[in-house]
Amino acid sequence: MELERRSQWLRGVLDLCVLGVLAHRESYGYELIQSLHAAGLDGIQGGTLYPVLLRLQRGGQVVAHWREGGSGPARKYYRITPAGTETLRRSAADWEAFAGGVSAILREVAAR
Amino acid sequence: MRHDTWLDALAGELRRHGVAEQTAGNVLAETAAHLWESGDDPLRAFGPPQAYAATVAESVRPEPPRRAPGGPVLLEVVGITKRYGRRTVLREVSLAVRAGEVAAVVGANGSGKSTFLGICAGLVSPDRGEVRVHGSLGYCPQGGGTSDFLVPDEHFLLVGAGRGMSRADARDTGRAGAAALDWDPRGGTQARHLSGGTRQKLNLVLAGLGDPDVLLLDEPYQGFDQGSYLDFWQQVRRWRDAGKAIVVVTHLLNTRDGVDTVLDLTPRGRA
Amino acid sequence: MSKTFVVAEMALREIARRRGVLAILLIFPLAFYLSRRDSHAGQSIRFVCLGIGWAMSTAALFAGSAARAVEPRLRLSGYRSSHLYLGRLAALWTVGLLLSAPYYVLIRIDQEHIRYGAIALIMLLTVAVAAPFGLALSAALPRELEGMLVLLIVVGLQMMMDPAGSASRLLPFWFSREIGTYAVDHTDGGYLTRGLIHAVVCLAALLAVVAVASGYRLRQRSHLRFVARR
Repeated sequence: MELERRSQWLRGVLDLCVLGVLAHRESYGYELIQSLHAAGLDGIQGGTLYPVLLRLQRGGQVVAHWREGGSGPARKYYRITPAGTETLRRSAADWEAFAGGVSAILREVAAR
Repeated sequence: MRHDTWLDALAGELRRHGVAEQTAGNVLAETAAHLWESGDDPLRAFGPPQAYAATVAESVRPEPPRRAPGGPVLLEVVGITKRYGRRTVLREVSLAVRAGEVAAVVGANGSGKSTFLGICAGLVSPDRGEVRVHGSLGYCPQGGGTSDFLVPDEHFLLVGAGRGMSRADARDTGRAGAAALDWDPRGGTQARHLSGGTRQKLNLVLAGLGDPDVLLLDEPYQGFDQGSYLDFWQQVRRWRDAGKAIVVVTHLLNTRDGVDTVLDLTPRGRA
Repeated sequence: MSKTFVVAEMALREIARRRGVLAILLIFPLAFYLSRRDSHAGQSIRFVCLGIGWAMSTAALFAGSAARAVEPRLRLSGYRSSHLYLGRLAALWTVGLLLSAPYYVLIRIDQEHIRYGAIALIMLLTVAVAAPFGLALSAALPRELEGMLVLLIVVGLQMMMDPAGSASRLLPFWFSREIGTYAVDHTDGGYLTRGLIHAVVCLAALLAVVAVASGYRLRQRSHLRFVARR
C-alpha cells in the first residue's frame, strides 16, 4: 500500500479508531497499538499514537490515570469519557455515510 | 540510538518548547515505559527528539485562552507618514499596543517595516505623525547596535549604567538574558569575533536590559538556529507576561506565536 | 558624572584593544621625529609634535566612527550626547598624554638648550586639540576614509605652509610651530602667548563642533514623546 496516502488516511481517522478501541475497555499506549494491529491497522508507531492520545485528552474525549505495571514501569491508562463516547457515535455515523460513497465508486473499479 | 540519550534530548526539547514541567515528566515516563515494553528503537518509533517534541508541544498546548484584555496602552503611534523623495513608504500608519500585548509588523520586502520601527524608536523622523511612549523604550535593530571591540560583559555594563543599574546588577541581568537564549557570554570574546547569530543575541539582550516598558524588535533573530528562534519567542512571551508592550517586525509569522495584533504594511493595490 | 566615567572606561578598553591604532600612535611620531633629526633641532621637534597631533586625530577619528553604531542605543538607554562625547574625549586625552610622555622624555634626553617646559605645553595642547579635531571629523563626515583624507590634507598643509602667513593660522596645529619657535629659538614671550591663544581658540571651536554635531545627530526627535508611566 502506498505509504504517503495511507498516512493521510490514517491522520483523518486514527483518533476515532483509538476512541473505538477505548469504548470497549480502558487501555494504555502500547496495548492500543497491539489492539489496532489486531484489528487490521498495523505499523502504527508510538510517535504517531501518543500525540493523538494527548489531543484527545486535551479535548476531554478521554481521561488518563497511572497504574502500577506489575513487572515493569507504571503505565498511563486511558478511559473514554461521555464526551468521547458522543463524539465516537456521531463520527461513526458520519464515517458510514462517507466511506459508503467512496466504496461505491471504487468497487466498480475493483470489479472491472 | 540509546534510550536514555534520546530521552534526555527529548526532555531538553520539551523544555525548550515551553511544555510545563509536570506534563513533560508524564510524557517522558510514558514514552520510556513504551520503549521498555516494546523494545523499539526510539528513532524508529518516535523519530528525532526535536520533531517529536514539537508535535507533543502542539498537541498539549491549550487552545488559545480567552486572554484578559490588555493593560494600559504603552505605545501610541498615530498617523505616521514617511516619504523618500517622491516615494511614499508609509502612509497614515497607526498602531496602539497595550501592556502585555505583542504586535507583529509584517509586509513584503521594502514595505517600510524597518523604517516604521526606526520612527517608533526615534531614530528616523517622519513627515507627519506622532509617537507616544508611556515609560521607557528598548530597541533591537536587525544588525549593529554593538561595539566591535568590547566583550559582552562590557556591553552589559555600558547599557546598564545608562539605565541606572549597578555594575553587578547589569552584568548578572545581561548574563541571565543570554542564558534564556542559550548562550554563555562569559569568556571575553570581542563582539567582532562573535558569529552573526550570537552577535544578534547580544543585541537582543541589550535591548531588554534595564526592563524597558516598550520593546521594538526588528527581525532580531537573524542568524539564529531553529532552537534559538524558539527561545526568542519564549523570551517574547515572558516579556509579554511581565506586562511589556512588544512590537516585532517579522516576515515569518506563525499563528502559534501568540500575537495579539498584526500590522500589515503591504501597500494596498500592489499584491 | 558616573555615566561619563563608564563611557570613558569603555572607550579606553576599546582603544587598548585596537592594536593598529596603538601602533600608529606610538610609531608615527617617532618616524616623524627621526626623519628630521639631523637637521635643525627645531625641525625635529616640530615634526614630532605634528606627528603626535596627526596620530591622535586619527585615533580620535576611528574611535568616533566606531562609536556611531552603538550611540543610538546608548541614547535610548539613558545617556545624553554630552556623556558620550565627553567620556570619549576623556579617554582619548588620557591615551594621548600617556603616549606623549615617552616623546617628552626622548626630547629631554636627545635635545639640549630647549625650553622643556614649553615643549611639554605643546604636547599637552596638541593632545587637547587633536582629540576633538578627530571626533569632529567623524561627526561631520560619514566615513573614516573621508576623515583620513582631510587629516592628510591638514597635516600636509601644516608642514608646507609658511607659519608667518595669516592663512596658516586657520590650521588647527599652528600653535605648535609658534610655541615651538619660542622653545627652540628662545624668542620673546609673544610667540608663546600667540600660540596659547590660538590653541585655546581652536580647542573651544572644535569642542563646540563636536557638541553641536553630536547633539544634532542624537537629538530627541520632535515626533517622539515620552510620557512618564504612572
